Parts: sequence; C-alpha cells; structure tokens
Amino acid sequence: MTLIVALLIGTGLFGIGLYGAVSQTNMVMIMMGVELMLGAAMVNLVAFWRFLHPDVYAGQMFVLIVMTVMALEAAVGFGIATARFRARGSVEMEEAMELKE
Amino acid sequence: MGQVLTVAFFGLVALGFGVTVFRTSSMVRSALSLLGAMAAIGVMFLAMEAEFLGVLQLMMMAGEMTIMAIFMVMYMMDPGGLGQMEMTHQKRLSKGVGLTGCLGAVALTLLVDWGPTVASAPPPTTQVHDLGIELMSRSMLVFETAGVTILVAMVAATVVAIARHRP
Repeated sequence: MTLIVALLIGTGLFGIGLYGAVSQTNMVMIMMGVELMLGAAMVNLVAFWRFLHPDVYAGQMFVLIVMTVMALEAAVGFGIATARFRARGSVEMEEAMELKE
Repeated sequence: MGQVLTVAFFGLVALGFGVTVFRTSSMVRSALSLLGAMAAIGVMFLAMEAEFLGVLQLMMMAGEMTIMAIFMVMYMMDPGGLGQMEMTHQKRLSKGVGLTGCLGAVALTLLVDWGPTVASAPPPTTQVHDLGIELMSRSMLVFETAGVTILVAMVAATVVAIARHRP
C-alpha cells in the first residue's frame, strides 16, 4: 500500500518535472524541472528499497548516485549558464536557436 | 497505517511545492518552492525508514537550492516577477508530454504486480553499517566512479564558465 502511494507520488513529481523541463524558456528553470524528475526517481528507488528489498543495499547506493547526478547537473548547468550569459547576456532558450544549426 | 499517512501527506506537500515552482513568477519563490519539494521528499525518505538518505537529502538540498536561488536572481531578466513576463513556450506540447509521462507511469505503477512487500526494515544503525560495507566492497567501483565524475564535472564547469579574453 505504502509502496503504491510512494510510487504514485513519484509519478506526479515526474509529470510536473517533465512539464517544467519542456515548457520553461529559461535555462535555470529547465534545470529545476530536471531536478524534480530526478527527485521522483529517488522517491521510487527508496520505495523499492524499503518495500521490496530492504536487505539489499544496492538500492540505497543508487539513491546516492542519483544525488551525485543532481549535484553534477547543477554544477555543469550553471557553468553553461554563466558562459551563455557572458556571451549573449541572457539564458533564455528561445535566443539559443543558433545552437541548432 | 501511520507510515502510509505520513508518506502520502509529505508526498502531497512535495507535489504542491512542485506545482508552485512553475506557477509563481518570482524566482526566489520558485527556488524556495523547489527547496520545499526536495525537503518534503527528504521527510518521505525518513518516513520510509531510510534515515541516512533522508538526512543527506535535507542537508544537500538546503545547500543546493540556496545556491540555485542566487544564480536565478543573477540570470533572470525579471527576478522579482513584477513585470509578469511570459516564461513558458510550447504550452500545449509541454502539457501533453507532462500528462502523458505522468499517466504512463501511473498506469505502470498500478498494472505491475509488485509482489509481496516487506513489513519491516533493518534498524538505522544496521542500515548505515551495511551501506558502508556495500559502498566499500561490492559497489566500490560505482562509488569511486561517482567520485571521479564529480571531479570531472568540477573541472568542466570551471573551464566552461571561465572568462575568455578575446584579442
């Protein structure tokens, strides 16, 4: 029961994060969407660890890895945002169309 | 029973803060809402008896979101949200994608037979001890790889962000 509740919360967070990552025009806001999606993944991993395999610690270790990924995403994302802001004066993604070409 | 209610309550708090992140036009509020969502996720971990991960999540997110708030105020055109600037695009696509992803995951959650659930978790001291043993034995390569990746990301972020003086 708690497993299903936790997984459903995870799906909700994932949906909100996906919506944010696709809809926002600002790079920092897109990163927040990605963070929410990673948070959803962590909720799922902890629920799986707790309710399916509490004696196997690979589940907890995966959560540590996801936390690392979150920190890396923030660090590299802010690095790119800083470079972009220096070069163009904004981090709006609508103005980054030249990267497509 | 108490566990279900706690997980559900803090899950709803996380969802509420998650919605607020993209609905408010003030950047500081947005970052603090994300901090609220992440803190609620951390309390969910505590409720699911993963004490170490819960405390780690709370501490990490408190730091990360504060930094994020500073960056957002630095880089947004309208950090206070006073000008009611439009900050979204491809509205229909994004709603469709978000809803499809959410409903797909809900269907998967409800349709899959997860098998019998375990009633009790090991006590916190055993958990921390066994997680340490796991990290230093079977999962050592993965753990070390994460460490090296952090180093690479630090160097990469610094190199990308460093000012270039063009002649």
